[in-house]
Amino acid sequence: MSNTPEPSNLPTSTSGPSEHDGSGEGSASVLLSLRGISKNFGAVQAIQNVNLDVVDGQVTALIGDNGAGKSVLIKTISGIWAPSSGHIYWKGEEIHVHTPRNATDLGIATVYQDLALCDNLDIVQNMYLGREETKFSMLDEIKMELATNQLLKDLSVSTVKSVRQLVASLSGGQRQAIAVARAVMRDSQLVILDEPTAALGVSQTAQVLQLIRTLSSRGITVLVISHNLNDVFTVADRIAVMHLGTLCSSGPASNYDTASAVELITTGHSSRVPPSLLTSS
Amino acid sequence: MSIIVDPVQESSFEKPDRSQLWYRRLLANQQFLLLLVTIAIFVFFAFNRHVFASAGEFGNNVTNFCTLVLLGVGETYVIATGGIDLSVGSTVSLSGVVGAIAMEHLAMHSELLVLSVGTVVCIGIGILVGVVNSALIHYARLVPFVATLVTWGAGAGMCLVLTGGAPIGQNSGAIALTVPKIWIFSYPALIIIAITFVAGLFLHLSRFGRFTFAVGSNAFAARAVGINVKRQVTSVYVLSGALAGITGMFVYMRLGSGAPTAGTGQELIAIAAVVIGGARLTGGSARLSGTVIAAWMITIVSSGLIFMNVSPNYNQVAVALLIATAATAQALRKSARQSS
Repeated sequence: MSNTPEPSNLPTSTSGPSEHDGSGEGSASVLLSLRGISKNFGAVQAIQNVNLDVVDGQVTALIGDNGAGKSVLIKTISGIWAPSSGHIYWKGEEIHVHTPRNATDLGIATVYQDLALCDNLDIVQNMYLGREETKFSMLDEIKMELATNQLLKDLSVSTVKSVRQLVASLSGGQRQAIAVARAVMRDSQLVILDEPTAALGVSQTAQVLQLIRTLSSRGITVLVISHNLNDVFTVADRIAVMHLGTLCSSGPASNYDTASAVELITTGHSSRVPPSLLTSS
Repeated sequence: MSIIVDPVQESSFEKPDRSQLWYRRLLANQQFLLLLVTIAIFVFFAFNRHVFASAGEFGNNVTNFCTLVLLGVGETYVIATGGIDLSVGSTVSLSGVVGAIAMEHLAMHSELLVLSVGTVVCIGIGILVGVVNSALIHYARLVPFVATLVTWGAGAGMCLVLTGGAPIGQNSGAIALTVPKIWIFSYPALIIIAITFVAGLFLHLSRFGRFTFAVGSNAFAARAVGINVKRQVTSVYVLSGALAGITGMFVYMRLGSGAPTAGTGQELIAIAAVVIGGARLTGGSARLSGTVIAAWMITIVSSGLIFMNVSPNYNQVAVALLIATAATAQALRKSARQSS
């Protein structure tokens, strides 16, 4: 891991932007830092030596072609898979995320592409899965139902008939809303969204994008994976581009346009972005 | 945390859908329909043979029911995780046989001590089988069907090795305990019914039960929220084994000996009870009340056919018909839901 910076060089919650930033945002603090993260499955190198800073309170979009390693990277952050090598820093402190529970305990919530919902459970049961409220060692269904109703009302999720509906009976947009609401209700500091607008209609996409902005305005950091560059440029404060398992560029969204993003996604290089935003792996 | 995304629409989900009348919801409930069918079957047999409704016959049916219901309870947990446990029948036999051997060695001691040790041994054997099942699933990477088929075969074989094919022991004191003492219930039957009740509460009202359904519904989703899927599956197979061990002890008490074939075929009847009770074999959905009603239904059908002078060989045919009817009803309800 020759490219891995020493921990002493890492941006912390009070330090300036990362070495690849080039934005001049001296006041930005970093919530999550990845240094030299690699993950291989046997002989297959899924991601290699990824260095990424996720800035606190901002929306970072992670973009890349199919197979670029985006989902592997977020599953590594989320504790689904342990990294083969590299370091993860949370607010400047090195952390070891071995299980999804470790990640959620830190305040990292992930909404997976397949939403990771249990179809045979209802909305309340899914919302509280793994964090059930209990009373005398028994599930406190009333408390959970009331809280779920309130949260969905706050989120203006008004299209579900009942919170006791099975998730299997929900539409794609409703399922997305439930998955995001579940991430929000756990007081997460970082919400990772994997393709949140895939397979959604126009109005549902707009709602999800609005939801992302709202999360950010409330101080919640968002890391969003998307194929849709329109969505990315609508909501992202920062952009990180992956190509063939490596992070080829990252920086403020204002430094990119659609053409440069496409060029980076397809080739891993672009002459249209400042050289300081390009990462040599 | 209050997050307003689009404060334009008044939420409608707070008002539960009351458009369906209560009796329509009741009739759509599979467990309620099952109960109605069970009552109808009982009334049919009682009408044709009045003695079928006597307290004595009720007591016999309760005893027969107790040899099946705990296997159904364990199987419900396992099937809720998307697995299956074929080993419970041979675990009943094996635990009964090993328990009988242990009790034979303690024959000089008090009846209470003998039976207590026997119960512990039976449960221990059941737990051991559950641990082996779990190890085969998680470490040998066998699918549950194959893993439990292995332990089913091994358990049945061990019974024959240990006994030479003949029952072990002759404990008339144990048999006396299975005679009804409180109306139609013997003391062991009351314990088994209590365990069934607690298991039902545990499955439907505890976090353990919720995790069990979550694992069967979507193991990745369960893991993603921090549920230890391996531990959950292991716990469920151990529970199923332990309940089979308790059943093994009950069967021993009923027979007064450890019979190597005491549990033969019981695994399929237990699975039948779970399926008839409305569980999905794919996991994530099951009702313990359904399993209990179905176990009672199978018990009275078997008993009723004997009263009607029908050859016992037709029992399996009757159970097969019940399974086919329940599975068809479930499939029709599913397709009706999808088309609506």
